[in-house]
Amino acid sequence: MAHVETKPETQAARSDLPPADRYASLLEEARKLHGVSHMQDAWRRLRRNWAAMASLAFLVLMSVAAVLTPLVPLQSPILQDLENRQFLPPNASSRTLQLTSDGETKTLTQLLAEFRQEIERLEQDARTASPEERVKIQEEIDARYAVEHPYQKFWHQPDWLAWRLTDLRIILFGDWCLPSLCGADALGRDLLARLFWGGRVSLVVGVVATLVSLLIGVSYGATAGFLGGWVDDVMMRIVDVLYSVPFLFVVIFLITILTEETIKTEYLEPYGIDQIMIFYVVIGAIYWLTMARVVRGQVISLKNEQFVDAARVIGAGSFRIIFRHLIPNVMGIVIVYLTLTIPAVMLFESFLSFLGLGISPPDVSWGLLVNEGIQVITPIKIYWWLVLFPSLTLTLTLFALNFFGDGLRDALDPKMKNR
Amino acid sequence: MPEPLLRVENLRVEFKTDDGLVQAVNDVSFDLFPGETLGIVGESGSGKSVTNLAIMGLVPRPPGRVVAGRALYHGKDLLQLPERELSDLRGKKIAMIFQDPMTALNPFLTIAEQLTEVTQLHLGYSHQQAISHAITMLEKVGIPGAAQRLWDYPHQFSGGMQQRVMIAMALSCKPDILIADEPTTALDVTIQAQILELLRNLQTELNMSVILITHDLGVVAQVCHRVIVMYAGRIVEEATANSLFADPRHPYTLGLMQSAPRLDHARAERLHAIEGQPPDMTQLPAGCAFAPRCPFAVEESWHQQPPLAGRPGGGRLACFVDITKAPRKAAR
Amino acid sequence: MLWYLVKRIIWMAGTLWVVFTLTWFLMRAVPGGPFDAEKKIPEEIRRNIEARYKLDQPLHVQYLDNLAHVIRLDFGPSFKLLDYPVNRVIAEGFPVSASLGVFAMIFALTLGLTAGVASAIGRRTAYDYGFMALATVGVAVPNFVLASLAIVLFVFYLGWFPAAGWGTLRQIALPAICLGAPFAGYIARLTRTGMLEVLGQDYIRTAYAKGLRHRRVIVRHALRGAILPVVSYLGPAVAAILTGSIVIERIFALPGLGIHFIEAATQRDYTLAMGMVLVYTFLLFVMNTLVDLSYGLIDPRVKLK
Repeated sequence: MAHVETKPETQAARSDLPPADRYASLLEEARKLHGVSHMQDAWRRLRRNWAAMASLAFLVLMSVAAVLTPLVPLQSPILQDLENRQFLPPNASSRTLQLTSDGETKTLTQLLAEFRQEIERLEQDARTASPEERVKIQEEIDARYAVEHPYQKFWHQPDWLAWRLTDLRIILFGDWCLPSLCGADALGRDLLARLFWGGRVSLVVGVVATLVSLLIGVSYGATAGFLGGWVDDVMMRIVDVLYSVPFLFVVIFLITILTEETIKTEYLEPYGIDQIMIFYVVIGAIYWLTMARVVRGQVISLKNEQFVDAARVIGAGSFRIIFRHLIPNVMGIVIVYLTLTIPAVMLFESFLSFLGLGISPPDVSWGLLVNEGIQVITPIKIYWWLVLFPSLTLTLTLFALNFFGDGLRDALDPKMKNR
Repeated sequence: MPEPLLRVENLRVEFKTDDGLVQAVNDVSFDLFPGETLGIVGESGSGKSVTNLAIMGLVPRPPGRVVAGRALYHGKDLLQLPERELSDLRGKKIAMIFQDPMTALNPFLTIAEQLTEVTQLHLGYSHQQAISHAITMLEKVGIPGAAQRLWDYPHQFSGGMQQRVMIAMALSCKPDILIADEPTTALDVTIQAQILELLRNLQTELNMSVILITHDLGVVAQVCHRVIVMYAGRIVEEATANSLFADPRHPYTLGLMQSAPRLDHARAERLHAIEGQPPDMTQLPAGCAFAPRCPFAVEESWHQQPPLAGRPGGGRLACFVDITKAPRKAAR
Repeated sequence: MLWYLVKRIIWMAGTLWVVFTLTWFLMRAVPGGPFDAEKKIPEEIRRNIEARYKLDQPLHVQYLDNLAHVIRLDFGPSFKLLDYPVNRVIAEGFPVSASLGVFAMIFALTLGLTAGVASAIGRRTAYDYGFMALATVGVAVPNFVLASLAIVLFVFYLGWFPAAGWGTLRQIALPAICLGAPFAGYIARLTRTGMLEVLGQDYIRTAYAKGLRHRRVIVRHALRGAILPVVSYLGPAVAAILTGSIVIERIFALPGLGIHFIEAATQRDYTLAMGMVLVYTFLLFVMNTLVDLSYGLIDPRVKLK
């Protein structure tokens, strides 16, 4: 009956038919209207929420910026210049990537050329040397790449991706880099560059730690919910108890012990475990609790849902039920919770870094930058840019994440609409 | 003909939804006479509840809006009355009970708190007076141990008892009009009969008018004097209960009766479900809304709204066809 | 009810014991940890520790002896502070943190509930949008950012509040507001959602059908149901306030528990840190129990088991 009024031509055609057939054709038409899946429906609703969409755009931009940071013509985030650039206010005077050592100033491209010459010389030697010596020389080349390569002086331990992107950047921009638009900090380091590099760390921590919590929470919650009975009881009791442990304090305690110099150097570093990694695991270990509860609740309610019975009746196996029916239905709530956990985790990271217990220099994160800004506040002089810019980037990102999460929840849960 | 107690004229209520504007109530007029029980019958979405919420000024806004019409009560148009005056009438002169007593009673307050606030507000009773009146009312609706149970919370009552509490609450101020919105739908069948019996007794005792909204023709047959049948926001037929049951004139009314199981008929007789689905209220057809489901529909039904006019045997009817004579089209 | 309390206390004792045991063994078992003989610590403290922890005894004796002390609420000497038992640090810091937390909570509840109810009633008005935008800002802005901006603005720039110190209301106000702001935002959003949920309930329609006025319907019939989500949020909120107070105390240089805890952590004062963890666990448990009790008080349908 849906389109009788809006489509006069079909109606005209229809009125020739006997009412029963006419009705059958109407039903047919109505059936076609129902093809829209839950996810499409949610996406349609989300698109109408401009705040959520603006947030999404902002977040995508942020993530792209974080990934491509080495490509952006920024100044070095770690090079200090106490004499000329300490507490330099934001300005637009152009800069080049250069390094002053022994009173001699060289640009990055010059340094790179020198380094390459050096390496070529060594390789030359290697060609004429005996096999044993050749191995030794190769080792020296590797060592130079790890320590003396100019990149190592401008950036703190760039990873493989960062290295390649920096190569590309040098090709594109040469030594030119952006002016200190956000000013410089107490050690004369460029704040804009530090914001970009810090954002990289903050976002990665947010995403990775959330994924850790997702992994633990979903498997724990789904297991409890799916098995049910006493297993469920015991598992949920454990969660209840953990809820009443003030995790932050335990975590700080753990971090304190794990970052003890001897433990760090003797037990963790040989296995490639660094502080950031401890961080991921520890944060993930806190935030899985709620996720486990949410997933369990969802699984239990879905288990009793009629469509699961229906699937069982038509002979679908457990495996099929889990993958075809349960997971897609749990997905929605998991995604929503995910988008709300990421800001919580980022907040927590910045919180710990702020207290000096999280990311430690020379790594940067936004929390650390805010802390640095606050440290230099005195009643006499306020270096406003050092407080404002890090606070603003951190807050805006958290804001966008929250908005997007809320929008997503409303979109996936139509009961909440009109609210 | 006595003067009507309540006269509803050309009532029109719209709802804004995500899918478009819904004409929930469309040009509805009827009278309610003193002391009578008027049944309003229709399936869900037919506008029967919204009609009465509009009279009470309780249409949720947004999304709902009373667009046109009047509801005259003692010469005053309830639809135009300022909120303050209207709320003085609500609960005092016009009371309402709802379908699900479980959700209609406030779970956070004791029965005493919920019962006494009406009489304290409208009749100016002191706390003491209100309490003793509440006990009287509870006894009147048949709640054993009323004096003690007064201090219980709603969840400590059974569904039937909760509905009795609702009735006691609604009748506390001896209203002229009681609007009962599906008062028995959420209850067990045996309890249903008790509640209907109670309503009928209290109506005679208090000499009030009752509007009974229901989708259940059995309920109508038990208590109503007069019946209005609604479909897709419009009145399609109105008659005295006897006339309607003996001689249904609208195809929809007929369909309703044939789809209701009856014990007094031979078992061999088939139940006839009404074909098809209730209409999509956002896109009503130009003609009679029932036409797509109607076995009697004629060409006119599809293009033109049948006027609500005199009905053979008394009352009103909105149909182009005389179904007692017209041939029934072959149903599938 | 009584049975419920007994059960809670048993659970609490269990949780405290688990936390104690875990932290204790972590401290002891980890080589290079606080009790490593290689550690260089001042002679007096070493003597204190050796006397207190009976380091010459076998491990299980040490553990039991320690547990006995902790059960008697004696957390032992500090690792870093001379002649300064952990108990005294806690006793001095607790009143500061507690009053900060209480003031923050009062602020958050007053503002959050009012704004939430106002938003729900005036749904889709300028008030609603304004309050909710503010609430989202409150939730998203980290409290250390808020606190530092507040210091810059209100202390240094406008000079409305004193920069540091503790004791007068004027000194408590700014830290408490900064601590409470995110919770105010969250509570406002919860209240608004709860209120809208309740206003859609049948019993609210009943209340209007009874002829009650708007204000009375809101206050008497809707509010209770609407604040239930807020009440269940209070448990996590208390935990988060404990956490947040660390930062606030640090920024405003308040002599509370949190600042000691951070010092304990960064200075590796293990005994102090452990004492703090136990105190916080205890606090959280008590608060959660209180929240559960008040939940039962508000909603008669809830039976405490």
